[in-house]
Amino acid sequence: MGSSDKLLEFISGRGFRKGWTAFNIIFFLSFIILPTVFILSSAVTDWSDIQEHVLSDPATMDLIISAVVVSFEIAAIVTVIDFVAGLPVAWMMARKEFRGKQFLDTLIDMPLAVPTAALGFSAAIFWAATPNPPPFSLSAISSPMLLIVLLHVVFSYPYMVRSLTAILGGIDETYETAGRTLGASRLTAVRTITLPLFRAGLVTGAILCFARSLSETGGTIIALATLYGRKMVEGDFQTGPTLIGLWKDASVADPTLVPALTFVSILLIILALVLLVVLKVAIMKVRVPLRKVWPSPEKLLSRGLFPKIKDTSAILFLLIVVIVPSFFIFTYVLTGTPSDADWNPFIDALVTSFVVASVVTAIDLATGIPMALYIAKNRTSKLSQLLDVFVNIPLIVPTAALGFSLGLFWNTVDPAAMPPIVLIILSHVAFTYPLVVRNVVGAVEGIDPAYEETARTLGAKPLQSFRRVLLPMIKGSILAGAIMAFTRSLGETGATLAVVANANTAPVFIVNLVNDQSYYLAAMACIILIIISYVFMLLLRRFTREEVV
Amino acid sequence: MTLSGIVKRFSDVTAADGLDLTVNDREYLCLLGPTGAGKTTALRVIAGLTVPDEGKVLFDGREVTHLEPEKRNAVLLSQTYSLFPTMTVAENIMFGPDIRKVPEKDKEQMLFSLLDLVRLTSRADSYPRELSGGMQQRCALARAIATSPDVLLLDEPLRALDARLRIDLRRDLKSLARTLGLTVVHVTHDQDEALVMADRIAIIRAGRIVQVGTPAEVFDEPVSPFVANFVGQSNFFTGTVVHSGPEGSVVEDEAGNRVKARPTDVAVGEKAVLAVKVGHTHLLKLDAAALKGKIERMLFEGRVVHVDVDVAGAGRFSAKIPASYRGRYQVGDDVGIGWNRNKAKVFPYPEGGLENELKVD
Repeated sequence: MGSSDKLLEFISGRGFRKGWTAFNIIFFLSFIILPTVFILSSAVTDWSDIQEHVLSDPATMDLIISAVVVSFEIAAIVTVIDFVAGLPVAWMMARKEFRGKQFLDTLIDMPLAVPTAALGFSAAIFWAATPNPPPFSLSAISSPMLLIVLLHVVFSYPYMVRSLTAILGGIDETYETAGRTLGASRLTAVRTITLPLFRAGLVTGAILCFARSLSETGGTIIALATLYGRKMVEGDFQTGPTLIGLWKDASVADPTLVPALTFVSILLIILALVLLVVLKVAIMKVRVPLRKVWPSPEKLLSRGLFPKIKDTSAILFLLIVVIVPSFFIFTYVLTGTPSDADWNPFIDALVTSFVVASVVTAIDLATGIPMALYIAKNRTSKLSQLLDVFVNIPLIVPTAALGFSLGLFWNTVDPAAMPPIVLIILSHVAFTYPLVVRNVVGAVEGIDPAYEETARTLGAKPLQSFRRVLLPMIKGSILAGAIMAFTRSLGETGATLAVVANANTAPVFIVNLVNDQSYYLAAMACIILIIISYVFMLLLRRFTREEVV
Repeated sequence: MTLSGIVKRFSDVTAADGLDLTVNDREYLCLLGPTGAGKTTALRVIAGLTVPDEGKVLFDGREVTHLEPEKRNAVLLSQTYSLFPTMTVAENIMFGPDIRKVPEKDKEQMLFSLLDLVRLTSRADSYPRELSGGMQQRCALARAIATSPDVLLLDEPLRALDARLRIDLRRDLKSLARTLGLTVVHVTHDQDEALVMADRIAIIRAGRIVQVGTPAEVFDEPVSPFVANFVGQSNFFTGTVVHSGPEGSVVEDEAGNRVKARPTDVAVGEKAVLAVKVGHTHLLKLDAAALKGKIERMLFEGRVVHVDVDVAGAGRFSAKIPASYRGRYQVGDDVGIGWNRNKAKVFPYPEGGLENELKVD
């Protein structure tokens, strides 16, 4: 027996397999979950500080409460807009065949290719009434709240449409047809039969949109800085995450801000988790009185002009509110004035971002895949069910709060052992890990375990059966998860700023450029980032397509 | 290969409840039972995919209960074949030899002869999804044989095929197994399939083996009313044994109907159930028959006609008559029912009642 055979023999043994699973679970709990919620323990240990600097300071409390309330208001408004504007488009994608469907499909995903920092800048110069508006921009909006709502709609919209399309595609159309042969008008049939069936999709879509909006930092900071034409200060319009970014930055000089930071983060994390549960229960349990039927007005609305108006306005919304603001930045550059800029700092930042994103993706894959396999293959075990719920936590928690919690955790463990770049990587792993796990769990659950079992009885060791049988079948999903994790890390601002105030990644670099009003440079940097992300998105689409065929 | 005292409980069902079974070398054994009887669990325990809660699995006297599936050389062919969709026919077949690092030259030769054996030479580079159901089945079989397994485990291998093909492949599969001298455990719920293919049949019910024997033995000498009914449908007559002797026995029901059967161990005066195969039940002239009834229903089945006769007080009896006799009877006719006394067997009345005994799920 050769040494490679011996190695294979060893890692195929029951003992090693158990140990490997245990290792991955421990990694997940101690490197992802624990740091993410570690800050909750500060509520106990640092309560006196919080009491002294926050609770008994009305000015600070006001800031915190208004920022958190604003965050939740924005997230709620955004989710509702996404649903109303996204449903007709999801419907078209799931149920209709028309020319340009493929094109529409690509169009919907496009905002995902744009890192939020670039998106914030692009949308802000399109909408906002800035001191020096670029040509063709609307420059109409001076309300920060409205601007942020519009911005958040742009990047959460694709999530809603995708979730709704997926679930609509899975609902058998024959129910509706049956309803219509029984005399219901199209609208009545849809409203009373199909819509109640897709609550699950609505839950997913709503949670994704809500969490994404609640979490967003980079784009928000940039949009506000663009609107104000300067770096944000404490008295400006603030959301929870921007407040964390601002205070984290200031806390380097003024450590008395730490309790306030802690308090905001705790508030955001707890409220986000509570909201997750409430939203789920509310959508699944609340009985909307849908049974009542109004035959004649519904019949009227099912025919003629109305459906056309609905579809047209949904598409127009997609183009004007989602697509144009995402890519408006390109027109800015065409008409802007080139300046002799020093590109080296940006290239440094870009390299840092790439290194971080690559390492993050590698860690996600190495530990996320075994975790996903464990969850998917042990559906009946209590531990697996618990882990399945836990995996979603970093997805819901606002990344700025997550980053701050994580930084605090590792500083408590050993401040010297963790250089900033490692902290950034760990924080990015925390919120990208669920993307890989969710994708792989979904794929593995769709595959009959009989394939691997048969391979085992044919003499394949567990590792061999995974590599030769299962892996080729789930390759597409692994890639999808990996590319999502990669682009998400590449575009992340909030967690990076919250974990290390003076980090040097590309999105943070762009934030700083906008703060200094170096708009041309910022726009160029955004475009480069967009192009890189877009290339990855194209790869993603190609690989996921292949799997379907 | 021996299973002894296998017990396997899942959260709310007991899939194996003290299961004992021995499979001889080069034997074709059919594990026959109704859905949910624990057939697949038994197969998975042999393959090593399910570890039993209690009991032992022995291969050639060596205990393998906790041995990993890949070390058993017991190959499973699942209901859906599980051909690896990302590999071609040739790659699928050579999966086992590849894993075992068989030298290239031997592999090539093996592949040729296997492709030839299952008549797939021209489809070697196709992907499984491009094959018909029968081809997929043969490809899966070739893949299983390629590892020269000590025992081949077939989990309802013919289930996914249409009826005509299924009957053709029974013969193919059986002759292939005989030619190659394979030891086969074939799980099925189809009694015809088991009767045609098996050297021996093991009847499984509720996680226990109730009878093992040649097809003729389980058909002619069932050990319980359940087996009598499950392997070739039976008619039942419930009553009390009124006579028992070396020439045969007599059972009488409450309505006073008296029917004859072969000798029995059930004592005179005991409650008993007489079972006779539908195929051994005949329609007779009224005056020659011990049982009389009215024709309730006639179903034309092609070569034969299935006739249900309602006998007052004794329940329904079924018989098959040749299709050519069709014109002689009509629904509503009064007819006699009878059988050769040597074809009727008497069992003690089952503890849980007859209906419970015959239940298949």
